[in-house]
Amino acid sequence: MAIDSGLQGKVALVTGGSRGIGRAVVERLAGDGMQVVFFYRDNAAAAQEVLAAVAAASGRGEALQADVADAEAVGAAVERVINAHGRIDLLVNNAGIVRDNLLGLLEDVDIRAVLDTNVGGTFNVTRAVARHMISKRSGRIVNLSSVAATKGGRGQSNYAASKGAIEAFTRAMAVELASRKITVNCVSPGVIETEMSQQVRDLADEQIKARILLRRYGQALDVANAVWFLASRFADYITGEVLHVDGGFKME
Amino acid sequence: MPEQAITQPEIDAVFPKVAQTIADALGCDLDEVKPKSSLIEDLDAESIDFLDLVFRLEKGFGVKIPRGKIVEDARGPLPESEFESKGVVTEAGLARLRQFLDEVPTERIKTPLKAAEVPRLFTAETFCKVVIRAQRAAA
Repeated sequence: MAIDSGLQGKVALVTGGSRGIGRAVVERLAGDGMQVVFFYRDNAAAAQEVLAAVAAASGRGEALQADVADAEAVGAAVERVINAHGRIDLLVNNAGIVRDNLLGLLEDVDIRAVLDTNVGGTFNVTRAVARHMISKRSGRIVNLSSVAATKGGRGQSNYAASKGAIEAFTRAMAVELASRKITVNCVSPGVIETEMSQQVRDLADEQIKARILLRRYGQALDVANAVWFLASRFADYITGEVLHVDGGFKME
Repeated sequence: MPEQAITQPEIDAVFPKVAQTIADALGCDLDEVKPKSSLIEDLDAESIDFLDLVFRLEKGFGVKIPRGKIVEDARGPLPESEFESKGVVTEAGLARLRQFLDEVPTERIKTPLKAAEVPRLFTAETFCKVVIRAQRAAA
């Protein structure tokens, strides 16, 4: 028998939902009975695959094209969700990109793209969604950080800085929204087997695994389970926290 | 161009709906919301409530109230540097506020008034006027 997570019938918005961790989050939440709307930036074919997978599992999903770095587009897309569903109970700020390189070799555009999408996108979507949660006096926000926020690797200055910002943002928003009974938390994945981490895994496979206590990479579903937990009624009393899902990643 | 004065009948026309919206946003009883009630001092509103209230007024009245518009309107023609000095509202600023917030008892608009505390002065009637101005702007 399924346990009652309190999520059935509620509305979730997941950014960056067409691939990787975002996709796993969409499927996990839809699988638990949520109506899940997700944003994708440009991979319409991947978005269709996710919708097909959700439908095949008898879930309810919906895809909207929106670049989170574009505040105006985000505002319009969030209004569409509100007009269609009347509310957003859960926001998962997952959309993120990497442009790894040594600082001296990073182009301005690589620095800006990562900050605009990862940090700017989180601001844009949260600002557009939080006002509705404030009015409803309830809501959950889960932001995706990364092990890089605290243990940034070589060539990750832009990405690490963006994820550190997201953790700081999470704590500040938890304070700002607490009086409206909105919780704000972070999930911080370690190295997860997705397209995005392919390059770093190819480059330094053994070195990375040596730092993971469990000696293996994580799966997107491991992260999705943590997001689900923070969204569920089991996390009612948790806010401003960072939940690490990294197999015990250590820096020695 | 000076603003055309807002009349009492105009305020009376929007007050019931504004009061209901305030009660909904603050979770207080409708009969606690009087035209002269200060939202922060009398009705225990917090700054985040203003955000919600403006949002609800926009929806309820079908108007647009841009972010920061209320404080900007309150400052009127005065540049920020003449309205406040080191975070405290100047004499010229106070004079402007007494004129703009004529629904607020003048004894409440006195020095030293921190610029950041101007919203403490806002009453239910202030928000009626915000709505009326937004309706006029849309007309």
